[in-house]
Amino acid sequence: MKNNILIIGGGPAGLEASAQLQRMGYNVILIERSPKLGGHLAKWDRLFPDRVPADEVLRSLLDATEGVKCFTDTDIRAINRLDKSYNVRLTNGITVLSDAVLVASGFDLFNAVRKEEYGYGIYNQVMTNADLEAYFRTGEDRRIENPRKVGFVHCVGSRDEKAGCRSCSKVCCATAVKQAIEMKQAFPEAEVFCFYMDLRLFGRHYEDLYLEAQKEYGVRFIRGRVAEVSENFDGTLLVKAEDTVASKPLKVTLDLLVLMAGMRPSASGKALGELLGMNVEDDGYFAVRSGIAAGQRSQQPGIFLAGAATGPKTLPETLADARAAAMEVDRYLTEVFPDARNYKQLVKERW
Amino acid sequence: MTPLSYLLAAQAEVPEVIDRIPSGFSYFVIPFTVGVAFMFCWLGVGLIRLLADIPKEDRIKFGKSLFIPKVALKNIKELFCDCLFHVKIWQRKPLLGYMHSAIAFGWFMIIILGHIEVALFVPARLNVTRGGLFYPIFYRYFVWMNPGHTTLRGSFFFFLMDFFLLYILSGIALAIFKRFRSIVLGMRHTTKPSFADRVALYSLWMIFPLRLLAESFTADLSGGSFLTIPVNQFWHFLFGDKLWFMPCWWAYSICLGLFFAAMPFSRYMHILTEVLWILLRNAGVKPNHPRKGVAEAEIYACSSCGLCLDACPMNVQKKNLKYSSVYFIRFLRRHNEKKINAIADKCLMCDKCHALCPVGVDAPALRRAQRATVNNTMPYNYAYLDASGSVQPSEPGRVHSRFAAAENGLSPESAPADSTQPCHANPGVLYFAGCMTHLTPRIIKSVEKVFKAAGVEYAFADREGGICCGRPLMLAGRTDAAAKVIEANKQMIEASGCKTLVLSCPICYKIFKEEYHLEGINVVHYTQFINELIAAGRLDVKKTDEKIVYHDPCELGRGCGVYLEPRAALSQVGTLVKASKEYDESICCGGSLGSLTLDTHDRAKISQASLQALLSGNPETIVTACPLCLKTFSEAVSRGENLEQHVKVKDFAEAICP
Repeated sequence: MKNNILIIGGGPAGLEASAQLQRMGYNVILIERSPKLGGHLAKWDRLFPDRVPADEVLRSLLDATEGVKCFTDTDIRAINRLDKSYNVRLTNGITVLSDAVLVASGFDLFNAVRKEEYGYGIYNQVMTNADLEAYFRTGEDRRIENPRKVGFVHCVGSRDEKAGCRSCSKVCCATAVKQAIEMKQAFPEAEVFCFYMDLRLFGRHYEDLYLEAQKEYGVRFIRGRVAEVSENFDGTLLVKAEDTVASKPLKVTLDLLVLMAGMRPSASGKALGELLGMNVEDDGYFAVRSGIAAGQRSQQPGIFLAGAATGPKTLPETLADARAAAMEVDRYLTEVFPDARNYKQLVKERW
Repeated sequence: MTPLSYLLAAQAEVPEVIDRIPSGFSYFVIPFTVGVAFMFCWLGVGLIRLLADIPKEDRIKFGKSLFIPKVALKNIKELFCDCLFHVKIWQRKPLLGYMHSAIAFGWFMIIILGHIEVALFVPARLNVTRGGLFYPIFYRYFVWMNPGHTTLRGSFFFFLMDFFLLYILSGIALAIFKRFRSIVLGMRHTTKPSFADRVALYSLWMIFPLRLLAESFTADLSGGSFLTIPVNQFWHFLFGDKLWFMPCWWAYSICLGLFFAAMPFSRYMHILTEVLWILLRNAGVKPNHPRKGVAEAEIYACSSCGLCLDACPMNVQKKNLKYSSVYFIRFLRRHNEKKINAIADKCLMCDKCHALCPVGVDAPALRRAQRATVNNTMPYNYAYLDASGSVQPSEPGRVHSRFAAAENGLSPESAPADSTQPCHANPGVLYFAGCMTHLTPRIIKSVEKVFKAAGVEYAFADREGGICCGRPLMLAGRTDAAAKVIEANKQMIEASGCKTLVLSCPICYKIFKEEYHLEGINVVHYTQFINELIAAGRLDVKKTDEKIVYHDPCELGRGCGVYLEPRAALSQVGTLVKASKEYDESICCGGSLGSLTLDTHDRAKISQASLQALLSGNPETIVTACPLCLKTFSEAVSRGENLEQHVKVKDFAEAICP
């Protein structure tokens, strides 16, 4: 018997989970609200720590999804729980009777306009990490014209209570170091500064990346948050910060400032969560059954979670999470779901 | 009526009133006399202690002020308006105002009229040694009216006494009703009474019904009017000819005694201390300690009415009621250090409790003083003030940057060459943006745009960064630290030789206006400055049909009294709509840097409440004139929780020059 499984979100988590479940022999339906699969990965140029091209990773993910029914430009219109399954009406008119639902709604990048003191959207020479990746992909950005001094601001919309973003986004430190190196590669004459409050470089090879940035590329790391940014008459930026190692205020004129926008719970994911009646925690990400033992199960039987829908994750973590979710779905569909008579009891014991 | 004429037949000239008890004393007056004597002793000792605690020059200032005609007139006006008529409450909540003035003014009149009656009819009894303390209070007990000889004058007083008693009783009835349904009188929250409050409160409720009972029992002997006489006849109808009036007079006296004995420990002490506070306040004496000296008069002047509970923006959440000014003052009275500090630090310093306080208690100032007791002694390094060169004489006409050359390996030439701004040769306008404006660069952009459009020649004092104005330090109770930055900034501004100083941050504006004492320099907020530019025809604005609501920033509105200029200017560019709370009732945006401990979650709740009030008139745009409000509202709107309509948030200058 082939169970229907609906996977919501066509980013890395959704793609990986659908590939795994397809392999297991399930009938997988993947929906993606944007016109293109790949999520944020499709917009990135290269990936930390080894700077492999994002396109390669995405290609291998997509190749593995052979046989998965994909609907792009598709969202959920309505969903209702039947006895055990979910009846899902899609915006393209199709109705799916799904035995399990996997939510891989991912994240949104923090809207850097909200940190007005950094001047994104106000000063010409301020961009975000995503803008810079787009530049690396296309080689085009009016802001980048042989910059001599470039600054990276870590933790924009992360670990910032005032902006309502308490959590660490996990990926920005490594991304900033990677992008700093790439800037030096592109513009060897440029001076590059990273303003950080802590460097959370925890993964394998991340430390190597950090040392490489310092030793081989001469990237300057300054511990201290940027206080404010103002624009000089010539369009360059005057950045004021505190160097908390030297305990002194400092200011520096830069040609380009890159804001490392952090991860925020996805807005469309939130709307979806409301449709499904799923709980979110204070940080805005979906609540899981148990953070340690059941991190891929939602609080509702039959609904699973994978990837950044349950908090910021690096790409390897997301893929591992997606595989784990696939295993969980399989276990549910083989052990709990088929036993119609004891279903309720089993859900009580094993969900 | 009991025929009494035979007793008096022998007298030649028949008096209207007969002092029926020659000793002028009865045991029932003891509870009252003890209570009131205790209260006056307590008050006397407190007054002496208070005067001893205030500095000598303040004492002299206070003494002199009583004889300055202008101050004396103000004193008299405020004593009547605030203590007796409660005009401030009337203006906002008429029913509540009626209740308070009925009890205060009514009681005051009864006491005064009682004394006048004694003075007119048995003047000897005013002497303290002959019962002057209690005789006028229990006048009706001690006298007989000569029924055949009641004059118009006597009847007039009978009428007045009954009238004011009825007036008070109506107030008491409202007060009792308010205990159960305060919202009808316009109060969402009321203060939780302490034990002494309860004793005093229940005695107060009882005093006037008992007075009516006592006086009506004796009305056929000592006279009465439209209220007491019919009630007296009713008692006769019920109990027959003989009325046992002693228990009523005892109960009346006991209640009075209880009330006065509990008074010093209860909220009702304000009845007398308020007088002292008004005199001190008008003398211009300010508290410099949260508990001692003038502050003592101030905290005892608090009537614990609880109007500050509804005023406090933190109280959108019930759990924060305990941080209201009324409880702050209660714990100050009780010397509860731990709670005082926690409450003092929580406050947003929006000053709304002060603005709405019927007694004019400046609780935010007391909180600041309390913070100073803890924070002012904290060590801090001011080396950067010297390093910045601000204390060295600066070249006239040039404003020096205050930032040290970038260190930590950043090359000094990384700072742009033009780190000093040339001031206009004919010293004109100096614009000081301040830290908060620098965090909201769109304000700077808009202000400069306005200046350019109006052709204002100006110098930018802190384009390259400046020193804090000192107000945040002041709010945190760090007065000494504030004094240092004020001094440094003052030198910089005076050296610039400007004539007008324009500030775009109300936080800066308040302290520049109040603490800097810049001689010959006109300190204006940019709302005022821009409004003048428009009025003078220097700035062309285009009227649109955009619906604008203006948010009064705390420091600008309540803090500096600037309400009209921003509205006048905005009405030139759009249609102003009303907010449900505005002017001095405007709700803090929640972003205030006054609070030292309020967390972001609670702040977000306040922002939502403030937004709701602003959106009541369905505006398209919220305009504010404070960088902090702008930041907070932009954030709250972008989060968009509980918002039905989409609304833009703009700075004042942005709205004027889009």
